[in-house]
Amino acid sequence: MKRILAQCSKELAQFQRDRLTVALAFILPLGMLLIYGFAIRLEIKNINLSVRDFDNTSFSRSYIDRLYATNQFVPVRYQPDGLDRGEVKATLVIPPKFYKNFQSDIPSQVQVTVDGTDVNNARVIQNSIKATTQFFLQNVQKDIPQQKIQPDIRIWFNPGRKESLYIVPGVYGVILWVFPSMLAAIAMVREKQDGTIVQVYASDLTSVEWLLGKGLAYFLIAIGEAIVVITLATIIFQVPIVDNILILIIGTLTFLASAVSFGLFFGVRSKNQTGAVQGTSILGFLTAFLLSGFIYPVSNIPYPLSLLSNLVPAHYYIILSRDVFVRGTGWTSVWYIPFILIFVSCFFLFVCSRILKNMQFSD
Amino acid sequence: MKLLSNLLNSRLFALILKEIRQILRNKQLIFLLLFPPTMQLLLFGLALSPDVKNLTLSVVDYNQTRESWELVSALKENDIFNFKGYQTDAETLSQQVRQGNLAIGVIIPPDFQRKINQDKTAEIQVFIDGIDANTAGIAQGYITQIIQQYNIKLANFKDKQLIQTEVIFLYNQGLTSSWFFVPGVIGLVLTLTGILISALTVIKEKDVGTLEQLLMTPAAAWEILIAKIIPIFVLLLGDLLLASTIGKVVFHLPFRGNFAVFVFLSSLYIFVCIGIGILLATLVKTQQQISLISFFFNVPIIQLSGAIAPTESMPPFFKALSFLDPLRHYIEISRSLILKDIGIEGLWRPTLALVGFAVLLLSLSISRFRRQLG
Repeated sequence: MKRILAQCSKELAQFQRDRLTVALAFILPLGMLLIYGFAIRLEIKNINLSVRDFDNTSFSRSYIDRLYATNQFVPVRYQPDGLDRGEVKATLVIPPKFYKNFQSDIPSQVQVTVDGTDVNNARVIQNSIKATTQFFLQNVQKDIPQQKIQPDIRIWFNPGRKESLYIVPGVYGVILWVFPSMLAAIAMVREKQDGTIVQVYASDLTSVEWLLGKGLAYFLIAIGEAIVVITLATIIFQVPIVDNILILIIGTLTFLASAVSFGLFFGVRSKNQTGAVQGTSILGFLTAFLLSGFIYPVSNIPYPLSLLSNLVPAHYYIILSRDVFVRGTGWTSVWYIPFILIFVSCFFLFVCSRILKNMQFSD
Repeated sequence: MKLLSNLLNSRLFALILKEIRQILRNKQLIFLLLFPPTMQLLLFGLALSPDVKNLTLSVVDYNQTRESWELVSALKENDIFNFKGYQTDAETLSQQVRQGNLAIGVIIPPDFQRKINQDKTAEIQVFIDGIDANTAGIAQGYITQIIQQYNIKLANFKDKQLIQTEVIFLYNQGLTSSWFFVPGVIGLVLTLTGILISALTVIKEKDVGTLEQLLMTPAAAWEILIAKIIPIFVLLLGDLLLASTIGKVVFHLPFRGNFAVFVFLSSLYIFVCIGIGILLATLVKTQQQISLISFFFNVPIIQLSGAIAPTESMPPFFKALSFLDPLRHYIEISRSLILKDIGIEGLWRPTLALVGFAVLLLSLSISRFRRQLG
């Protein structure tokens, strides 16, 4: 135990001396937090829409007013190649005799052309124009029957649909996975690259003690990162804890332990720092980013690939952090998560120690 | 002929040959050129999908009449909602939504049928799990539409829909989500690989100390640098072709614009990446630092580029900032040329921006490199 602690404090001293790494450990996570928290917005708010009105009656103009009154669309002058040049997202063409047809009960077709490049927002635009048209019709048609079924829709936890409430708890899962694992991997591989690992072999430190000492040091650094990131995010984005704080503490500690042990594993496996950084950033970052449900829910991922999500620790941590910061339902729905994360940490530490033992004998 | 033999005997050509041999011998470099791009393209293209599907839905039916069953089957008949059976009471239902086991809960009141028959309005309650703001909004839209349609059916109202909206999606008729992401990821792949590879090859000689040996040869600094840039450029063009092939074969990207224009503008962007890579290499001393510092740059470059979330929806400050991101301009080009049939004349703005970035970054990095040599 004493030797583990000694190894740990040596690591911390070494870490402190490397300015670039310290900066990497604290500034980059904050930068990432700010960019994600402020800049990642999936839904467009001001959509450029141009209307070509062949009817030009007060009826057609009130329809146009209705569309722009949603505050979702911004009027832009109609130009034939506006969509091609990306200046508008959608164009709407009102046919001639629009009002006359309406009066004589003949349906008329409004042509809507939507830029389909951005798939998500193309769908939002379609739904919004359809809903607005429906609403307009209900106001102008006289004999429309009364609504017999009225849905009373309540969106829980986030009635205003603030996107930061979705993104910020998720970004903890990405940041607190990528940086702790990367730092641990770099520290591990550095000893191999610089050859100082031979001195460790020569000492009477066992490989497990060495591993735990290193792991403990980077675990402590990771805790520091977590405190800085979560505290600042809570203040800046106003996403307070709504649940038992113990869930957050236990969940975060186990998650950080699994991230550090994943990093140690990559450090043991790779030959140089480039390999370690690339390995943790590609495998770790991509999985934490794409398969964790951070941007789009896991249920959207197509079937065989969605099974992989179950192997991604960030997936579990994001469930837990969204529970702590948004849902607030207590242990009942997240009790299993710390166990999974502890299992992941033990698994990687075990594999590391096996590899280290083999290395020692073969060298 | 004479020109060719002159070229083959030139110092520059010998240096280029040396660089190519060095690269081919470096297994890690070859791995970095092939493996990460393939994995990034496949993962981004397959896993990122905004299509809302399979939202779990459950119902508490306190009415249990033909009318209420019809409403439930109207909710079931689509691939948006995944019906998870009935719940017995409102308490359990709301508990399930609260814990995230269900995305949507619907409660049909006991007087549902009676109110409909008496021509009164029956209120049903709908709970939506709002954890995911984007999905919740879309789910809300669908629920409203389905109930509206059911209302029309109930009323036996000959709804002629006096205004019909005919929506056409240009460029991506089927709204295939990979067609949005993959053109962006091609840019992302060029950025990540381009910066790292060019920085690594330049810094390696500095780090190992062989740069001094190169300087003792009669080769001029510009020859050393050009000899480094050309093979990297060719390799990255190979990466571009790899990415385009994956895009074509796996994701069936349409490549509607002129492919030669696409390759030309992409090579412009490759020069931008090489410029950034060499600049980073002049800023640090060792190979160890380069992979760290390139990670520093990659995060903002990718996140501000619009590869994942559209730049249009960013708040004004970040939108303005995104214009300083070369990848943003390249993604505008690649999305346009892959999905739209437009020529270079429609893309003069991003093209000009890329030319500007390439000239600025290459001249800055080359002058720094030469100063460090001198």
